[in-house]
Amino acid sequence: MVPVPAPATSGEVAPSHEGTVGSSPAGTAARSAARLRCEDLVQATPSPVAIPQRAAGQEAILVALDGRTGPVSAAQAASLESQLRACFPGRTARVLLVAPGSPVALVGPAASGAAPGEPPARSAGLGPAESALGALLAEGDRQGSATLAMLVAGERDEREDALRLLFEPVLGGALDYVCPIYPRGKLDGMLNTAIVYPLHRALFGRGLRQPAGGEAVLGLALARELIADRDWRRDPVHAGSDAWLVAKVLSGNARVGQAWLGAWPLKEEPVAHEDASHLLARVVGPVFHEVDRHAARWQRVERFERLPTLGHPRALEDAPGRASAEAPAAAFRLGLRELGKVWGLVLPPATLLELKRAAAAPDEAFQLDDGLWARVVYDFALAYATRAVERGLLLRSMTPLYLGFVAGFVNRTRALDGAGTEDRIEALCGAFEGEKRYAIARWRWPDHF
Amino acid sequence: MWQDTKRIFLDQTGRVVDAVARLLPSVLAMLLIVALSALIAFGVRGLVRRLCQRLEVDRRLREWGMADPAAPGRAGPSVALARVALWTVLVLGFFLGLSALDTPAAAGLSLRLLAYAPRALVALAIIAAGLACARVVERNVLIGAVNMGLQSARLLALGARWLVVLFVLALGLEHAGVGAALVTVCFGVLFGGIVLALALAVGLGARDLVARSLDRRFPEPPREGSGEATGAERGQVRHL
Repeated sequence: MVPVPAPATSGEVAPSHEGTVGSSPAGTAARSAARLRCEDLVQATPSPVAIPQRAAGQEAILVALDGRTGPVSAAQAASLESQLRACFPGRTARVLLVAPGSPVALVGPAASGAAPGEPPARSAGLGPAESALGALLAEGDRQGSATLAMLVAGERDEREDALRLLFEPVLGGALDYVCPIYPRGKLDGMLNTAIVYPLHRALFGRGLRQPAGGEAVLGLALARELIADRDWRRDPVHAGSDAWLVAKVLSGNARVGQAWLGAWPLKEEPVAHEDASHLLARVVGPVFHEVDRHAARWQRVERFERLPTLGHPRALEDAPGRASAEAPAAAFRLGLRELGKVWGLVLPPATLLELKRAAAAPDEAFQLDDGLWARVVYDFALAYATRAVERGLLLRSMTPLYLGFVAGFVNRTRALDGAGTEDRIEALCGAFEGEKRYAIARWRWPDHF
Repeated sequence: MWQDTKRIFLDQTGRVVDAVARLLPSVLAMLLIVALSALIAFGVRGLVRRLCQRLEVDRRLREWGMADPAAPGRAGPSVALARVALWTVLVLGFFLGLSALDTPAAAGLSLRLLAYAPRALVALAIIAAGLACARVVERNVLIGAVNMGLQSARLLALGARWLVVLFVLALGLEHAGVGAALVTVCFGVLFGGIVLALALAVGLGARDLVARSLDRRFPEPPREGSGEATGAERGQVRHL
């Protein structure tokens, strides 16, 4: 029997993997161990939210497989379907493919030519035309599927019992929502490390380690709650986005967990393809939107709660090369020199002064204080909410600041191993939690600087 | 002699009094028109202000980057719009009043000005909208250039802003009919000159910079089996 970690106060924050459930070596033993631990979790966790009585259709698992970088082959869908059936005998599994376009649709593998005759499933018009989640929820509700999942298509690490880790807590009724965590390098997913993870954790009091991954498994009860949400009508542009789902789940009463899986299923993309300013606008914009939407809720959250975590926790991997802080620090200094007028509309004078002091340091010693960075993020979130500057411009103008944080992070973690870097991230999260009062004060008196 | 002087004086006085008596209704009509236009002007000002509030003009313009948040003691765009509406109606009312005077010069002038007013107003609107757009262009270019790492970002942004300003000024003046041909020629020479200068600067001086920027924006993916390292393998930062 493995106990679910008790909520801890923000002062007692520990790395999320400390509260994990189970650890398993590779191979069959790992799968059985993971299975046992999943079952333990199911037994250990009370189920206050009633999972609806299972009818015949509710035995089903419905998965929307997203190709992200390209079309998904029908063979991948068929393979996943057979794996699900093998993993959960007695339950039916159905894998649909996310067909990009407008509107986004879920189509059966038949549409890709693999299994002719199977009728395609189509989004019932829930939410925005681009929301695959809306299509999945509508289809899951129509079919009465017990568990719905949005997964990325790709090669999954066979040493991990990923499907069991992801689906079993929801199928067993122990959790309403499970989010995967993938082992990453120290300098991977910097947007998540710098903004998304600490911001969600500090504001909502629940720390999903990789909330921006776009993959999730959720139960039917939660899916129906989400379908009934008024945002589909009131704010159709943002409803159904990844950030919307994460914020809804974290700010509500859903039982949330996360699972450590193997390697990220998609092949690595060359770093040169990633443009920080576009990524900031694409990823952080919706997050700030949800922060604004849930302001009344997160201002009341005072404690940090560790989430049940399944699977074998991994330390951050060391980067094989040597990253340089020179270029991001130069970008920060250029931004400070040229964008002072725009930042002056967002940041208080004291923060601008601190940024100027930080810019004076040489490249190898350059760093932004954690508290300063947290205040900068909160200030930009507020400016996004109050529309102090046009939102697209605001997010793009944040790029040099973000690169400044990256430069500091590279310098600070250069000599650290994976565990040390994780501690550094924990300290950053602590700073975000420490500055939450500042965020609340700014939110209540936005013009007060 | 005294009799003659008295007669002439009385005749002239009588004529002046007659003239004043003939002009007085026109003057009264003019004053009435001006007073009415003043009333209408204040009404229009209130209406514009209310309309701007209803349409949240200040917020929208601020959002689009066309106006900065109003500093304490500085009028916002909606107040400025209301003032423009007030003075436009007042000036139009004054010229309308002038046309009521029974004098050919005043009437001719006021009628010509009234006929010109719509063109002047449209030209003013073109210039105002263009200046607001120039701010948006400047800020966009500035942020884009900073994110591309261009050291002369501010210069570039200012250049872009002045190109837009020049363009709308030429457009507005041409619409207003002020030195039409001259403005067009001047604008053509100036604009063409700036574009040529930019092209020469990029072609001769900043070729490497542009190549680097394009390389960053449209990188060539590593060829399969070429052994090229990805960013992560090179120890670089991955944002997502």
